[in-house]
Amino acid sequence: MTPLQFEARHTAGWQELEAALGPPARDRKWPWQRRKASAGAPASTTPTPADNARIAALYRAACEHLAVAQSRAYPVWMIARLESLTARAHRRIYRQAELGLGALGRLFLIDFPSSVRAHRLHVLAAALVFALPLLAIGIASYLDPGFILTLHDSDAVEAYDAMYASDAAGPLGRRSAATDWGMFGTYILNNVGIAFQCFAGGVFFGIGSLFFVAYNGALIGSVAGYLAWRGHGENFFSFVVTHGAFELTGIVLAGAAGLVLGQALLAPGRHGRIAALELAAKRAVVVVYGMTAMFVVAAALEAFWSSARWVPPAVKYGVGAACWLGVICYFVFQGRPRRSVEVAR
Amino acid sequence: MAAFDAEARRETRLDAPVEDRLDTRYAAETPEGIALTLRPAGAVPRLFAYSIDFCIRIAIYGTVALVLAQLGRFGSGIALIVLFALEWLYPVAFELGPWGATPGKRALGLAVLMDSGLPVTPAASFTRNLLRAADFLPALYAFGLGSMLVRADFKRLGDLAAGTLVVHVGQAVAAYAVLPPAVARAPALQLGMRAQAAIVAWAGRVPRLTPERADELAAIALPTVAPRAAGGDRVAALLGVAHWLLGRR
Repeated sequence: MTPLQFEARHTAGWQELEAALGPPARDRKWPWQRRKASAGAPASTTPTPADNARIAALYRAACEHLAVAQSRAYPVWMIARLESLTARAHRRIYRQAELGLGALGRLFLIDFPSSVRAHRLHVLAAALVFALPLLAIGIASYLDPGFILTLHDSDAVEAYDAMYASDAAGPLGRRSAATDWGMFGTYILNNVGIAFQCFAGGVFFGIGSLFFVAYNGALIGSVAGYLAWRGHGENFFSFVVTHGAFELTGIVLAGAAGLVLGQALLAPGRHGRIAALELAAKRAVVVVYGMTAMFVVAAALEAFWSSARWVPPAVKYGVGAACWLGVICYFVFQGRPRRSVEVAR
Repeated sequence: MAAFDAEARRETRLDAPVEDRLDTRYAAETPEGIALTLRPAGAVPRLFAYSIDFCIRIAIYGTVALVLAQLGRFGSGIALIVLFALEWLYPVAFELGPWGATPGKRALGLAVLMDSGLPVTPAASFTRNLLRAADFLPALYAFGLGSMLVRADFKRLGDLAAGTLVVHVGQAVAAYAVLPPAVARAPALQLGMRAQAAIVAWAGRVPRLTPERADELAAIALPTVAPRAAGGDRVAALLGVAHWLLGRR
């Protein structure tokens, strides 16, 4: 059979498949463009199961034709046409279901907390790497106030002093709702960026995550220790206690997600390193989704609640304790299979 | 499964014929047993695409910041949130859209796919864009560039972890389908399949070659393919053979 005979025999099927797949990706429209375009044209029909079955049959036929054309070294344009046709049909048939609200609900009700539990050793390691420098540097700064200057320059230290002094116009001072919004933006940009860094550093065999988590622990510890020594302890701790429940756990989880990547590279098990990294990233990204949401909650609390001066410290400690308890309960209990299911099995 | 596929692909790479090892084509096997050929995009087009996106982001941020500046501290807070979204979510939003690419990538004819040839999934897009933070280190995307330069499929670290691939989309060879007209002529001997394919491919390229180069290439094939025509118009004679091979007899 000559190439032209081959093309003549099968071209009807190819054209039908091309038409069924719609315009190629480069000409596809965003939803708002589609609405405008379809206003004049006949309404676009949604594919029925029969259409999809027909597409699958045409696709399998085109796959066979491509294999034949390749093995018979048919002209390059014909192979290219069949390649692009099969590639488009492949994308259409094997595409993943779209992300819906149901998937989002499932993420926060089940996937995120159970994924954190599944990686509890990574979380524990990240928590230690975060808490030990925090405590050590915190105690060192409390005992020797000059120690903070090894981590911050003197201008920054003065700024901290001013922010948490009792009569200051800092985060605890009297401020307007507009300023709260300004701080909200700052917290989102900086803190979530830091958290993403803690995660991404894991791709360097986990070292980047360890470094960023320990470094941020040391920074926070030094400020806390110094301010406690200055006598601004109550101002500072009542400020951080509430959003800390989300922010500090968020950093630890970001670091833990990074360590999952790092472990996959260091100890890939029965996979190649790259394949192990791909699999680990699929698991870790669930933690990163949840962690990002925690940081948004933390930023909102930090901007709008923690800074509210009219709230007495005792109330802030109470709310803060409730938040810590809630976060811990969320990770311990949320999203476990129902006991009756376990018994039934 | 995906992991085994990836390893199998790497092994076949070493056994592949020389032209497949020299070429940067990437084969993604489908469940039907055919190989989808993807063309991974290298560092230079991706750098251009990034520059375009960077300018777009600056333009958006500049406009937004200018408007929000009227609103004082409240406005600056919103502007910072916009900056955050532009930095981290802009690529994710566009990659999950119908283009499968940011405006910069689209302008250069690039798109982001899973390395199985499928559209990029939300988790993969999120992963590859968050790992920009690692690709960027120690400065100016140095690790990402290094990774692209040492790998045949030009993946940066984010692509490695997410299992994604940045590819050239669009057809480069559609124009080769039209052969210049010529009188069909049978070859003097039975030709193997690779020889047939080479002659037809040459015929498709004739409109884009200079006449001298087309003649030079025809002179290589003619003495064996059609020795009697070797004296006359060699290009026309070999084009005739190409037409005959395609089935116009």
